[in-house]
Amino acid sequence: MKFSIYRFDPEQDAKPYMQTFDQPVGVNDHMLLDVILRIKEQDNTLTIRKSCREGVCGSDAININGRNGLACITRVRDLKEPVILRPLPSFPVIRDLVVDMTRFYAQYASVKPWLINDDPPPERERLQSPEERDRLDGLYECILCGCCTSQCPSSWWNPEKFVGPAGLVQADRFIADSRDRATKARLDDLNDVYRLFRCRSIMNCTEVCPKGLAPSRAIESIRLNLLKEAL
Amino acid sequence: MNRSLGGLTPWLIQRLSAVLMLAFIGFVLAHFLVDPPASYEGWRSWAGEPGVGIAACLFSVALLAHAWVGLRDVTLDYVKPLATRITVLTLIALALLGTGLWIFRILWLGRA
Repeated sequence: MKFSIYRFDPEQDAKPYMQTFDQPVGVNDHMLLDVILRIKEQDNTLTIRKSCREGVCGSDAININGRNGLACITRVRDLKEPVILRPLPSFPVIRDLVVDMTRFYAQYASVKPWLINDDPPPERERLQSPEERDRLDGLYECILCGCCTSQCPSSWWNPEKFVGPAGLVQADRFIADSRDRATKARLDDLNDVYRLFRCRSIMNCTEVCPKGLAPSRAIESIRLNLLKEAL
Repeated sequence: MNRSLGGLTPWLIQRLSAVLMLAFIGFVLAHFLVDPPASYEGWRSWAGEPGVGIAACLFSVALLAHAWVGLRDVTLDYVKPLATRITVLTLIALALLGTGLWIFRILWLGRA
């Protein structure tokens, strides 16, 4: 199978280039990551981030034939040749397919992704009804791989100011949490022309999420909560 | 924080104005399908009815508000230097204001 892979080593290369590899796909090479690791056996300078290799850690998010996804859960035989692999669009490249996620994590941290509740802690735990718990479904599963934010044009134009779909999913996860007491402060923080309202419902985020989540729905839910608060 | 540029309010204006415009377009299309005017005079007298005039006026206000929020958003995305941004926003505001006056002239003064 033919692969065209983005290569860039800032210590050696003046600018990035695409390198072609012809890699036979073995019977046990099911996922794209398996084949990338075979290519790495040929050329061990090829750099990729990976960890769990089963779509749980989100480390190996890359751009595959123009579409962001996780290499470890992308079936290699389904891909059109030549398979073009690039690092996540709009993220600064550290080397080859590895990107710098600093700005992404800073936006994530900016929504205070932790439970805020100053009530005296109960003896055992803060209970939720099954219905209250259900509201977190579709939100808590985010693995912060960055596929959505990297494919979002609003994040491309305003990466420092727009929280981005991944961060907003996390924001909604805590807004929707019945145990959280900072809902109003969270909503006020997002009621801003840049932080939330740069989203134009382009919905690339929902289209590419490798976990099948819908960040655009979370964003809509935050807007509706803001509207309810305003009325 | 950019509170001065608004968060929810412009977004809401854009949605409500869209609904209003859609309703007016539906109303006009329905009228032309169900009871099409036979001549230019027929169309003019229909357009001159007070109800239609008020609806057209509301439509125009919605259109201008909708256009302002949309163009302002595009400007915020693409025009970063402050001086250029203010210039572009001013030009857009003037163009929309001019369009508004032009519509007013057609809707009100055109009746005379």
